[in-house]
Formats: sequence, C-alpha cells, structure tokens
Amino acid sequence: MEAASIPESPAARTRKPFGTVILDNILWVLLAAALIIYFVQDPKQTLDDVKTGLSNGTIWALIALGYTLVYGIIELINFAHGEVFMIGSFVSVSLWQTLGVTPDNAFIAILGSMLIGLILAMLASSVLNVMIERVAYKPLRNAPKLAPLITAIGMSFILQNVGLLWRPQPDSSPDLIGSQKDYFKVFGVAIEHSDVFAFVVTVPLLVGLLWFVGSTRYGKAMRATAQDPDAARLMGINVDRTISLTFLLGGLLAGAAGMIYALYNGTIQFNQGFTAGLIAFTAAVMGGIGNLKGAVVGGLIIGVIQSISDTHYGQVWTPAVVFSILILIMVFKPQGLFGEETREG
Amino acid sequence: MTEQAAQALPESNGAAILEASNISKIFGGLVAVNDVSFTVPERGIVSLIGPNGAGKTTFFNCMTGLYRPSTGRVVFNGRDITAKRPDIVTRAGVARTFQNIKLFRTMTSIENVQVGMHSQLRSRLTGMVFHTPFNRREEKQSYEAARELLRFVGLRRHNELAMNLSYGDQRRLEIARALASDPQLLLLDEPTAGMNPQESEELRKLMESLRSERGISVLLIEHDMRVVMNVSDRITVLDHGEKIAEGSPQEVRTNPRVVEAYLGSQA
Amino acid sequence: MSTAVATVRSNATSLRRLLPDWAWAVVFLALAILYPYILDVLIASPDDLLDASISTLGYIIMALGLNIVVGFAGLLDLGYVAFYAIGAFVIGWLGSQQFPDVNGGKGIHILTPAKSAFGSDLPGIHINFFFVIFIAAAFTAIWGVILGAPTLRLRGDYLAIVTLAFGEIVPRIFENSTSGIFGIGHTDFSNGRQGITPIDKINFPWSDTAFKYPLELKPVYYVGLAMVLLVIFFNRRLRDSRMGRAWIAVREDEVAAAAMGVNLVRTKLWAYALGAALGGFAGAFLATYTNTVNVDQFEFGFSVFILSMVIIGGMGNIWGVILGAIALSMMNRYGLKQLNGVPEKFGLDFDVTSINFGIFGFFLLVTMVLRPEGILPSRRRKLELHEAEIEGDVIAREEMSQLYDVRHEQ
Repeated sequence: MEAASIPESPAARTRKPFGTVILDNILWVLLAAALIIYFVQDPKQTLDDVKTGLSNGTIWALIALGYTLVYGIIELINFAHGEVFMIGSFVSVSLWQTLGVTPDNAFIAILGSMLIGLILAMLASSVLNVMIERVAYKPLRNAPKLAPLITAIGMSFILQNVGLLWRPQPDSSPDLIGSQKDYFKVFGVAIEHSDVFAFVVTVPLLVGLLWFVGSTRYGKAMRATAQDPDAARLMGINVDRTISLTFLLGGLLAGAAGMIYALYNGTIQFNQGFTAGLIAFTAAVMGGIGNLKGAVVGGLIIGVIQSISDTHYGQVWTPAVVFSILILIMVFKPQGLFGEETREG
Repeated sequence: MTEQAAQALPESNGAAILEASNISKIFGGLVAVNDVSFTVPERGIVSLIGPNGAGKTTFFNCMTGLYRPSTGRVVFNGRDITAKRPDIVTRAGVARTFQNIKLFRTMTSIENVQVGMHSQLRSRLTGMVFHTPFNRREEKQSYEAARELLRFVGLRRHNELAMNLSYGDQRRLEIARALASDPQLLLLDEPTAGMNPQESEELRKLMESLRSERGISVLLIEHDMRVVMNVSDRITVLDHGEKIAEGSPQEVRTNPRVVEAYLGSQA
Repeated sequence: MSTAVATVRSNATSLRRLLPDWAWAVVFLALAILYPYILDVLIASPDDLLDASISTLGYIIMALGLNIVVGFAGLLDLGYVAFYAIGAFVIGWLGSQQFPDVNGGKGIHILTPAKSAFGSDLPGIHINFFFVIFIAAAFTAIWGVILGAPTLRLRGDYLAIVTLAFGEIVPRIFENSTSGIFGIGHTDFSNGRQGITPIDKINFPWSDTAFKYPLELKPVYYVGLAMVLLVIFFNRRLRDSRMGRAWIAVREDEVAAAAMGVNLVRTKLWAYALGAALGGFAGAFLATYTNTVNVDQFEFGFSVFILSMVIIGGMGNIWGVILGAIALSMMNRYGLKQLNGVPEKFGLDFDVTSINFGIFGFFLLVTMVLRPEGILPSRRRKLELHEAEIEGDVIAREEMSQLYDVRHEQ
C-alpha cells in the first residue's frame, strides 16, 4: 500500500534556490571566510596555525569519536568521557615515570615504553569507560533523560577528584618524542616531531575503528543497535554487550588521545578532561553527532579554529570562542555537517 | 439497535465557521494529505472518516497549527490561521483532543482543566505573586468553572490524578480540558476509541448538547460508524490523503468508493 | 531496606500531622529568628557556624531560583553560576570603588554613607544595598531571558550542554573585561583575576552606619533571612498560580500545553527570567558578605553544587530544595572536616576537604540511581520519574519550530 505518489503539483520542490543553501550553511560559510581572510592577511602564520590546529585536532578527533559513538548508540552524552581521557594521560605518564625513561635513553627503549604507555592508557581508559556505563548509565536506561545526565556529571566529578588525589599539582611528562624538534618544512611551515607523532598514532587508530565499525560483525551490531535497539534485539543481537563494546571502543580512543596529549602537550593535570571534553564535544556536534567521519572532521576543524583564535584573539578568548561556536551549532544547526535531522532529547 | 433516522437536528445555518482550502502536507517524499478542501458549518457536527493511515490526524494537525501545511489555507471565523502557532489557534477559538490521549498525567482532573483555561485567564505575574484580589477572584472562578466543566462531561472525581482515571474517563477529561478554552470549534480525534457502546452513546449525546447548549461546532475523526452515522450532519471521507467522498450519512454509506476504500475492491 | 524507609516515612507523616501546617510554619519561623541566639547559648564560639549559616541563606535563595527553572519548568540548566556572577558584578559596580572616575572622582552616593573613615568623599558608585539587590535581580533577569532564548527549542542533553557553555562563557567575559568589553571602550569592569574588593557593607537606607560584618554577624543574618522569607513567599505564590500550572504542563507535554493555549516561548522565558533574578538577588548578597567579587568564585562546580541541592533535596518541592541547600552547604563546610581522620585509618594520606566535589558527585550518582526524586520529593516529580516511559507522538524537528514560531504574535 503506497501513499499517493508525488504529483506534479507546485508543492513538491526538489531543488532549493542557491540563496537558501547559503543561508542554511551560513555558519560554515563564515568560518571558511574567516580562514580565507586570515590566510590572505598573513599566509605563513595562517599555515602555521592550520598545521598546529590539525595536530591538536587529532586529539580532539579521537575524543570526539568516543562521544559520537556513545551518543549514536544510546542517545546520551557521556559527560565523564573527558575524565576517561585524563586518566589515559595519567596512566601513561605514571608508567614512564615509574620506568624512569627519559629522552636520553636508547631509541628502542623509548619506542618500547611509548608503545607500552599507549597500550596501558588504552586499556585503562576502555575498562574505565565500560565500568562507567555499567554503574552510572545502565541502571537508568528507562529513566527520563535527566537522570543519566546527572549521574554522568556525578561520575565526572568523582573521577576528577581521583585525578586530583593522584596528582594535586600539574605534572610534566618526559619529552620522549623530542617534541620541539623539526622534521621538515612544508610550504615554509615547520613540521615538528610532535605533529608527526600525533598523526602517526591517530591515523591507524581511525582506520582501524572505521574498518571495525564498517566491516566486522560487531560493528554491524553496533550500527544496528544505533538505528533501532528493539529491532536489533529481535535479530538476536545482544544489545547490552554491544553497548558495552561501544563504550570500550570509545574508551580505547580516549586513552590513546590521553597518551598523545601527554607527549604533545608536555603537561598533565587533573582537570584537563573538563575543558578537553567540552572542546571535543563541540567537535562531535560540529561534525554531526552520531557520525564518525563527522567527529574526525569536526575535531580537525576545531583544532584549526583554536589555533587561529589563539593567534588573533589571544589564548584567553579561545575557550569562549569555541563554546560560542558550540552554542551556535546546537541552536542553529544541531545536525552539524554530516548528521541527519534527529529528534532532540 | 435501530439507527435513528436523520430527524430534525438543530440545523446549522449553513455559514462556514472553518474553511480549509487545498491543504496538502508532504513529509520528505511522503504525501500525507493531498489537496484537501473542507468546510465546517456553524453549529454543525461534521465527521472525518477513512481507513487507518488516510491522513485524518495529519489533517487535524494542519488545522490546529501543529504542522505547517505544505500548501493551502485555513480560515476560521474569517481569520486566516494557516500555520499559526497552536496556542494562537486555540486562542482564536479552535480546541482539540488527541488520538493518543495527551493529558497531563501527574496533574489532577481539575488542574488539567485549569490548564485548558490558560488562555482565558487574565492574571499577570504581579497579580499572581502578590495574590491581588483580582487574582484571588479569578483563581476561585476558574476552579468553579473547571468543576462545572467536569460535571458537564460526566466526571465526578475532581482531585483524582489523570493517570489514575479509567480510559473512558480520560477521554472525557480531554474533552473537558478542550472546552475550557471556550472554543467555538472543537476537534475531536477518535473520542470514542476504547469505549463501550453505552459510553459511546453518552458521548454522542454530549456532542449534541455541545451544539445545542453551547453553540459549539464539532469536527470529529471517528471509526465507530454507529456514532458517525447518528451524529453527523455531514461526513467527509479521506483515503490515502485524498478526499474521496463527502455528503450526508446516507449518501456516504452507499458510496461505492467509500465501501471499496474500507473493504478493498472485493466488496 | 524499603520497609525501613516506609517506616520512617510514615513516622514523619504522623509527626507532621501533630500540628496544622500553619503552626509548623510558625515554629520554623520562630526557630529561624531565634537561631543566632540559640547558637550563642549552645556553642562556645558560634561565629563560625553563623558564618556558614549566612552563606547557606544565600545558597537557599539560589537553589529556589534554580528550582523554578529545573524543578517547575523542567529545563535542565547547568550554567546557573552565570547568574550568580552577574548579580555579584552588579553590586561590584554599584557598591564599590570600582569606577573611581565617576562624577569627577566624587562618586555617586544613594542612601549610603558618603564618606570614608577619614571623612573624604568615597569615589565610585555607591547605591544602597536594598536597592542594589533589586537592580541586580532585574538586570540578571534580563540576562536570563537573553541566555534562555536560544535554548527554547532544545531539550534534554542539548539544553544542558548549551546552558553549561553559557555558564563557562559569562565569567570569562567578565574576566577579560579589564579594558572595555570585547575591546570596546576602556572601563575596567572586573579587575581581572584580582577581582573587585572591597564591596560596600549593607546599611539601612535611613541610617548612615554600615553593618560591621564579619565582626557582628547577627544583623547580616537577619537581612539574609528576610530575603529568604521573601523568596519563599514568592516561590509559593508562583507554584500555585496559572504560571506554575503552565510550567508543569510544559514540562510534561509541550505539544499538549501549546494546544491548550500556553505560549511556550513566554512560559519558558519567564522561568529563566525569574530563576535568574533570584540568582542575581542572592549573588549580590553573597558578594557583599564575602566582600569580594572574583571570577574564581564562578566555576562550573558551583552550578553543580546548586543543582545538587535541588536534585538531592527534591526537585520541584520548595521545602525539599531548602533542606537540600542546608544539608549540602553544611556538609560542604563541616561534614568533610569531620571525615578528615578517616583516610589515615586506611593508611591513606589526603585532605578530605579537597575531595568535596568528588563526594558531591558520589551523592548525585547515588541519588539518581536509588531515589531520583530526592529526599523530600514533590509528588508529581516522583510519579514522573518512576513511571515507565510512554510512547509519545514523534514530531519531526522541523515541526517543533512551529511550536516556537514568534513571527506572528496574534
């Protein structure tokens, strides 16, 4: 029984006039315009900002993926995700401090300890994320949306305090990657060790994740559950385990981000997760919450926005700039770049 | 049960209180309502029937500002209310009930009706905060008026939580709540769903008294043919979003297209 | 466990029935009025507890304000600290020496002592406290509307995050307004990270003598108490009014509320405006009491602190919220100190007061999982929170904007 077909009536419009397209996307247009203007004003500085932004952006991309994966599957913002990232940083730095590894050690030792640091961070964060889901979200699956959001905040606070007790003062990570040293120049912009490092770690993880979600049976289960949990259950998919798996993956990525951040940034502290979480969440929303590709693109874009803002408005204003963009997107274009119109709340 | 012949019901004077012209509603690629035009005469009782999925509730939503029609106009009492916000439509004099009862479940019956009166009450914020004589009087009057309405629809327990009422009582409460905004036109979306024959008959009588005692016109979506045939001045039939028949109960009942729509082309 | 709770609850109800409600109100009022003197009698050095109580009075007002937004209207606001900041800065501007060049250095004085201790004119704007608190309330209310307006069509998580973002942006704007706002003008609005201090002390409009807190706490306690009583009266009237019903309707079912003639835009904006007003009202009070307005006071943790009072105390229930405010404020101040001996027994070494927000987080978690309606719940909220979810109509987002269309008002 089909509905009546679309008549050749004037009601059906298949193509929007160009003007409306611009207006719909005014936000992206303005951002692009700003970038172009700054580039024209000072190409070298802008390129440098873009490079810094992209490197930073990889970290945001990894964290944003965690948000988007979880939101896609249970329509919940995992408020504590930023803290999961922070714990990843802490774990890897603690490992390196325990091993006593320094930049002067043999290359093999450095590489090995970095690898172990990465693995441990990913492990710790993924386990933590799964635990958070079990304790704070699962019992409230049928409660109104207010409830898990509050428990998420509670969890975030508990974890921040754990971080505070672990390291009351900001701590520095051994500079294992020689982060300030240059590798080469591209278009006159110096590419440093830290930039290469960020990409070298992030890209395989992203590829791995996209392959996992796109091609494996478990990934299919995740996508099915995200679309329609009841139907997925009827197909024999264990929804509970799939959700836990999603949190596991999100945690893995956040842990990796934490390790990268520790080496890239050099300093770690207990409240780094709060700001990082908000920034990464902005990235996820910008890309279209629930959309993996969007989270990555969003992360990179936010990174660039941050560095441009740092240069032109000063570091004090950058958080306000990012949060303003968050508000603008959520109010005017909540589907972001790649998302679909969804129900809210 | 014998059907009452179309006896001399208080005839409407024929003037249209609601005029909907060329209403279409398209969701993405789906045409839910396709170029439907429609009038409701003053003091008339008109029914909108059709198989499930015919677009009746969507049409209602277009009348009451819940949906913006893709094409067409809605004129009520000479005033264009097309695509106006639902609360503006209500203030203009059109009230409605919902197919899936949308009562305020944690409020009592009387509180539900008082919310229905929201647009009729005039207290401003300062009056509310300082409990001025005007505010006190108005609150008292609204309470009394709400009780009156509950009595009118046959609900006796005023302080019962809406969620604890029986299904039939909930439907009645929805009507009382809709009446609270002092409408001239009442849109009822499947008011007898889930009711037994006796309750349906009571509801039918209620609709008649709405017209005769309060001068309210009624537009009704219904599946219970007994009620429809007995109470309607005129019936409009929708199928797949299009109007396929319109006329008196007698005319519609014998219309082959209507029969086919309901029973399939076998009958 | 549940039988124990049931027993406590039934005992509490029978206790409550001993006296009619108005009599209980008189009892509590009497206790509140006599409180400082009771402390004098019972405790050797009562000033510390009285100080905590005065801060608590400020928090009670804020919790009641947030209760309008979250408890009555159901709008999850995670950025309430912005309103505290705005109210505090209003008194920072209108009750201090922050603007020394005004009136040629002689300052503006409205019903305040115009001379300093040395007899010279005090520069800056100095308006009597009892005017400033209402100015602060009104100014903050306007900002409540401005910050609330973009959020009207958002629900749930999205609303929370946007309000959080606002809560982060507002203090930062203040912080960076040491030379004009966004670089326009040159006025220093906030004195940056150092903050504005001192803040004028309260004085009665008919008297030239300012209060002497922190040496004498009783007068400022009574001012705070008067403010609290005013706010309680205000809240109760709102709750039992047409607006209160409209808020509950909007919270339960926006579509049905709109169909009943409730103007969603106005109703929600009123909730924000009034909630914000109370935040500003209390903010000005706390600013003069702490004698400083400093952006460090305005962090996300404070928003959660107040939100916890509303949630743990009992969302929507005025008395529950008051109880939550008192409980959390006192726990924050004292409870943790009591626990300080505990970690050592476990061989751990940390200062318990440094984990206050972790403990709040824990309480929030426990509350939402075990008893989401809070300690003293409103009957409605309890029903809402424990009902199974009902399948509602799904209205596409493009149609949601229909409910908020402000193009044609009539």
